[in-house]
Amino acid sequence: MDYFFFIDLVQGFADGVLFGTTYALIGIGFTLIFGVMHKLNLAYGAASIGGAYVSLIAFLGLGWPPIPTFAISAVGAGVIGYVVYFCCFKFTPVRHPLAALMASVGMLLFIDEVIVHESDGMPQPYPSVMDHAEITLGEIWIRGDLIFVFLMSVVSMGVLLWLLYRTRLGVATRAVSQEATAARLCGINPDRINASTFVITGVLGGVAGAMIGAAVGVLSPLLAVPVTVKGLIVAVIGGLGSIPGAIIAGLMVGAAENIFLVMRGITERDIYVMLLLFVFLVLRPGGLFRSASSQH
Amino acid sequence: MLQLDRLSKHFGGVRAVDEVSLTVERGQIFGLIGPNGSGKSTTVNLVCGLFPVTSGRVLFDGEDITELPTHRRLAGGIARTFQNIRLFENLTVWQNLWVAQNGAEDRQQGFLKRWYSGNRQGRAEIEELLEFSRLHDKRDLLAGNLAFGEQRRLEMARALAAKPSFLLLDEPAAGMSQEELKQLSERIRALRERGATVLLVEHVMDLVMDITDRIAVLNFGRKIAEGTPEEIQANEDVRKAYLGGAAEQEEAASA
Repeated sequence: MDYFFFIDLVQGFADGVLFGTTYALIGIGFTLIFGVMHKLNLAYGAASIGGAYVSLIAFLGLGWPPIPTFAISAVGAGVIGYVVYFCCFKFTPVRHPLAALMASVGMLLFIDEVIVHESDGMPQPYPSVMDHAEITLGEIWIRGDLIFVFLMSVVSMGVLLWLLYRTRLGVATRAVSQEATAARLCGINPDRINASTFVITGVLGGVAGAMIGAAVGVLSPLLAVPVTVKGLIVAVIGGLGSIPGAIIAGLMVGAAENIFLVMRGITERDIYVMLLLFVFLVLRPGGLFRSASSQH
Repeated sequence: MLQLDRLSKHFGGVRAVDEVSLTVERGQIFGLIGPNGSGKSTTVNLVCGLFPVTSGRVLFDGEDITELPTHRRLAGGIARTFQNIRLFENLTVWQNLWVAQNGAEDRQQGFLKRWYSGNRQGRAEIEELLEFSRLHDKRDLLAGNLAFGEQRRLEMARALAAKPSFLLLDEPAAGMSQEELKQLSERIRALRERGATVLLVEHVMDLVMDITDRIAVLNFGRKIAEGTPEEIQANEDVRKAYLGGAAEQEEAASA
């Protein structure tokens, strides 16, 4: 292995870990909704990208600076999250998880179509911050905008963990995911908890969508499906229902993706990411962390 | 206080509960007994609203709560424990009580109080409950890591956290030692002194005869007798249904 190839690998690994935090956010969203409702919301990735597109109105239409634009993305995706809950989950019968699953697939396609039509199928520029800064470590240089993406994602995860572990809403949410029947008897309205979970994960997804846009510099209308797939891979590798699992799996998938990119090129990259998922499904189907929900 | 009015629940062709009527007065400890599969647990689940009734009504404080969703019944003052313990195992002992509190005060004080922190008085009440259930030195342990007896005590404490006026205890003595049984009956008596009304569903006859004011007996989903513990012990139908069933069980256990 020659020296420059090795440097490329390390460079790819570093970039991948930093960008992987956005995958981790998306994975957390999938995993959290699954943990609370024991249902998959396949529209989650699309809702996240949808949030980023909503914020384009502020950026391109109103000329807002980057940070408020990101905030709009978070709020927009939170609202979309509630709409997804209302349309696909609130009224579908509990005993038929497939109904909600199919409804959320419909929602995924719907959001995707709206994005393609509204953007005329063209990529749009997306703002980033600190994009001229960089840190140089010997032969490796780390982009400032990626550091910002990393920090934003880590802060969002921190806020989420604080919500889940330190507030009564979060503790009630975990109570519902562990013992829904007992939670109802403790006066907790599961409908409220489900709705708040969709809004909170929606906000998280909006941050992720904005950060994906910020890291790449453009928003592509073709993002919704790949982001959904990456998010699901992260959630499954981490163990559905496990938040620490999703965080670590997000960083892993980000890093692996870039390493495969360096070694095999862009056209083959996703094949190997899928293989990674395959390996996990065969050897460790419960994911990195066996989640509470997979134990029964 | 609680009134069941010709309450029925059919699962397919099985009449799990068949036109059961009974009235629990305020301040009573009311026993609900019967052999295995006689419909006791189903009755409790109907009172909690865990599944819809087939026919009949559930009245609480004179109000018809038959159609009320489960989580709203707690606000009305009904709390329960489960035969097979259902704690939030990945929450700490303290959090189990905190999340169950959800009190009327918090509701009035709005969203943040209710969902962020709860109020100071509530925290004091948690301390008192921990003391009452002798769990104060376990507050930071995960509920799933407690010993069996401790889990039972925590579940009862969790039911009490919302300050219910009516408490359903579904076989609280299952799997308990003689010593634990004694403590349990003391705690149930203490509950009544605090002003709670208790519906006790139980297999352990000694406990039921010892502490209840009134007993109803179910068999095959029907109420076959109701009266004071002395009357029930003297009742010939009950002897046949219940003690016959118990004898069969003992045979099954020794076989």
